[in-house]
Amino acid sequence: MRERTTVRTPLARGREHVVATVEEIPPGEHKVVPIGRWGVGVYNVDGRFYAIANYCPHEGGPLCSGRTHGVTVVDPEVPGGAAESRAGEFIYCPWHQWGFELATGTTAVKPEWSIRTYPVRVQGSDVIVTA
Amino acid sequence: MDSEGRPVIDASVHAFFASDRDLRDHLKEPFKSRGYPDVDVAWFAPPDGVRYAPGTQADSVIEQQAFGQPVTRMPGHPGSDPELVGRQLFEERGVDIAVLHPMSNAGILPDWHLSTAIFAAYNQMLVERWLDSGTYADRFRGTIRVNPNDIDGAVREIKRYSDHPRVVQIGLPMQTQSPYGRPHFRPLWRAAVEAGLPVAVHIEMGVGVTHPPTPSGITRTFSHLTAYQPMTFVWHLLNMIAEGVFEEFPELKIVWADGAADMLTPFIWRMDSFGRPHLEQTPWAPKIPSAYLADHVYFVHSSLDGPGADADFADDWLRMTGKEDHSMFGSSYPDWQMHSPDDLPRAWTPEQREKVLWRTAARLYGIELPLSAPAPIPVPASA
Amino acid sequence: MTIEMQRPKEASQEMTEVRVVDSDIHPTPKRGELTPFLPAKFRSLFENRATGAGSPVYYDAPDFAHSFAMRTDSFPSDGNFAGSDPDLMFRQVIMEAGCDLLILGPLNGGGQTDEEHHAVTQATNLWQDACWLDSEHNWHGRYRGSIVAAMEAPEAAAREIEHWAGHPMMSQVLIGAELRPAWGDPRYDPVWEAATRNGLPVACHLGRGQHNELPMSPVGFMTYNHDLMVSYSMLAANQVMSLIFDGVFDRFPDLQIVFIEHAFNWLLPLMWRMDAIHAKRGPENGLKRKPSEYVKDHIWCTTQPLDMPEDKLEFTRSLEWMEADKVLLFSSDYPHWTFDDPQWVRKHLPLHMQDKIMYQNALQVFKNLPETVPALPGQKRAQ
Repeated sequence: MRERTTVRTPLARGREHVVATVEEIPPGEHKVVPIGRWGVGVYNVDGRFYAIANYCPHEGGPLCSGRTHGVTVVDPEVPGGAAESRAGEFIYCPWHQWGFELATGTTAVKPEWSIRTYPVRVQGSDVIVTA
Repeated sequence: MDSEGRPVIDASVHAFFASDRDLRDHLKEPFKSRGYPDVDVAWFAPPDGVRYAPGTQADSVIEQQAFGQPVTRMPGHPGSDPELVGRQLFEERGVDIAVLHPMSNAGILPDWHLSTAIFAAYNQMLVERWLDSGTYADRFRGTIRVNPNDIDGAVREIKRYSDHPRVVQIGLPMQTQSPYGRPHFRPLWRAAVEAGLPVAVHIEMGVGVTHPPTPSGITRTFSHLTAYQPMTFVWHLLNMIAEGVFEEFPELKIVWADGAADMLTPFIWRMDSFGRPHLEQTPWAPKIPSAYLADHVYFVHSSLDGPGADADFADDWLRMTGKEDHSMFGSSYPDWQMHSPDDLPRAWTPEQREKVLWRTAARLYGIELPLSAPAPIPVPASA
Repeated sequence: MTIEMQRPKEASQEMTEVRVVDSDIHPTPKRGELTPFLPAKFRSLFENRATGAGSPVYYDAPDFAHSFAMRTDSFPSDGNFAGSDPDLMFRQVIMEAGCDLLILGPLNGGGQTDEEHHAVTQATNLWQDACWLDSEHNWHGRYRGSIVAAMEAPEAAAREIEHWAGHPMMSQVLIGAELRPAWGDPRYDPVWEAATRNGLPVACHLGRGQHNELPMSPVGFMTYNHDLMVSYSMLAANQVMSLIFDGVFDRFPDLQIVFIEHAFNWLLPLMWRMDAIHAKRGPENGLKRKPSEYVKDHIWCTTQPLDMPEDKLEFTRSLEWMEADKVLLFSSDYPHWTFDDPQWVRKHLPLHMQDKIMYQNALQVFKNLPETVPALPGQKRAQ
């Protein structure tokens, strides 16, 4: 998505929203829904759902346009000495590649910089976000 | 002690052989007859011809033979006579303890066998002449020079001297073929840590197989080179942090002996700011880069460092990125740039002065002060 | 959710004040777009070389295989590279980020010979004129171009500058940063001469050279993009010293140099360091003034990358000591992944410096910028 998305007619805040069906967001996929000023990204990571604000606290980049992947860890057993851990559990900003844990909104390096996260639950085939 | 009665550790005093013949007398064949450059060469020498501070030439007259031509007679090299150096430092300049750094050009020679042999000669001279004998032996501390182009030999040399009570650090050349973060240097760091010695990195003298001193080739003037070259530490330090050297060796301490600590502040701000996304590429150095400074990085405070003696914000600047806890006064005796505690910024707090003049060096090198010798009488703070 | 699509293609009759000038932004040719502008003898040669050629990257920004070191939302939908679509740049940088005037700095690489380097600059200038600065693509009048010049061929570069000088939409000369020797060498004088004669500042942007002009440090090559990019400022620091100590500003008193994307916090301690060596050895360089005075009058740095410590107060104080309002020009570096948003930059600057850095300095440096421009309905105002 190359256009900067702004939400013209946001859904009301502070309540539960049925944002999608489970089938709509298969594992590894996400959907941006119009909640709040920038929208909320709802992510399916191996069947677990997470929701984050589509806004990077660093310089305001459109966070949910970024790629999800894991974090790099030392692994002396593999050629090159490094491996990916927890694949898909982190979102990386499309501007400056700052990474945030989808589940908690925090990062390992500078935890005081964190993104907004929202509770998500699945009821029947509905994905419900409280935001 | 300084003019206000504080102890002074001079963390950078340059020790020399009296002459090339003096060095060759410490070498065995085949190295004794080899060709290698002098520490003083014409390439980028001071254009006024003044290499050393006036009055630092040794009293002894040395017979020097150059290119097989008739013998010339010259005074001993500045910084070569422990009695003269000791008198000038301890009696006249108010220094309590001096950390000696042998000045050589062996670290940048192409033949690493020759380099190692010359360094061994330096170390033998340093220990025998300065640390084990003479009037001021108990006031000198020494730096053992080792060759980063001969890691096995360097490790052996570190082990040879690590138990000497007055050997307080290992010395490496600033100019290298590759930055000190590269993995082939690791045995060096391991040996230094096992010996419990910090590692000082200092610009090697003379000429040799070096890359140009700037990313854009040589400079056109001596001033430019003199001001720029100490900043070379930036590349080594950034590379060591990113390569995880300080994660692997939590006890390792590095002393950037040519100063330029001021550059630490902007470059570590930059490395931190740029580090956040880049740390994914270097899981062996997972912390934000500035987190590695406190336990590992020291600087000699040299004559070109700081915002100037009269800057009223010099205390604030010294505080930034922790420089106040990692800078150690070093005079560079007998270099032309030699400076004294009187040249330090006046805006530094008394605590900052104490740290830079002796506390940090005392802690790093395990030096106990004040000396047990006749106690200095402190000058009252206000008369 | 709706998506704002602002493509008025016509400016308002109403005029509005310029409040943000972006001094570092990168247009890039669509596939094949540059070729027709190359001198005939190089067209097929360059195309043949590109045939079957893959990526040449070896210092890779984070997640490079997916991001290509770009803002990943800046790739146009036609499959061309980031920065190739004047309309998308207009929307993201002018309408959405709120930059009012954009000084375009194309980075189209170089050749393998001096002649090829020059040929690429000639093509790049023609291409800018036809594909970005023309009335169709620059209908809003917000784009300004750079006269790209090959320092490898200073005489030809000077002729190229003369050729384009006076073009109402060309605002600066643009050179690469990595060539050896440093800018103080008299061989480059024809470029400074042509630029100053035409009232054009010369901007120096980092790219990548080859071999020892990569740049390579005095201690060899860095390991990662992280340590390489952070230490790139050391190259700029040396260029500043070379320009000053080698007398370029004495030879060309009107010359203005803009260092793009080299960071800037290092300039503060560098000024102290230059002044310190000048105080000790000044006469040998024949300078008419203190080095830091040349910096304030002749050197500009762009704000991106805006590197800051944890304690923002330290950054603010550093800017004050530096007199950053005499040194900085705002830049975004769009579409590169290190993009800085103008509103974000502004809020980190001391209040009294904001207007100067965001646009007033630029209006002074770039002689042909208007102070007001036709308003664009719906444009974000970054203030």
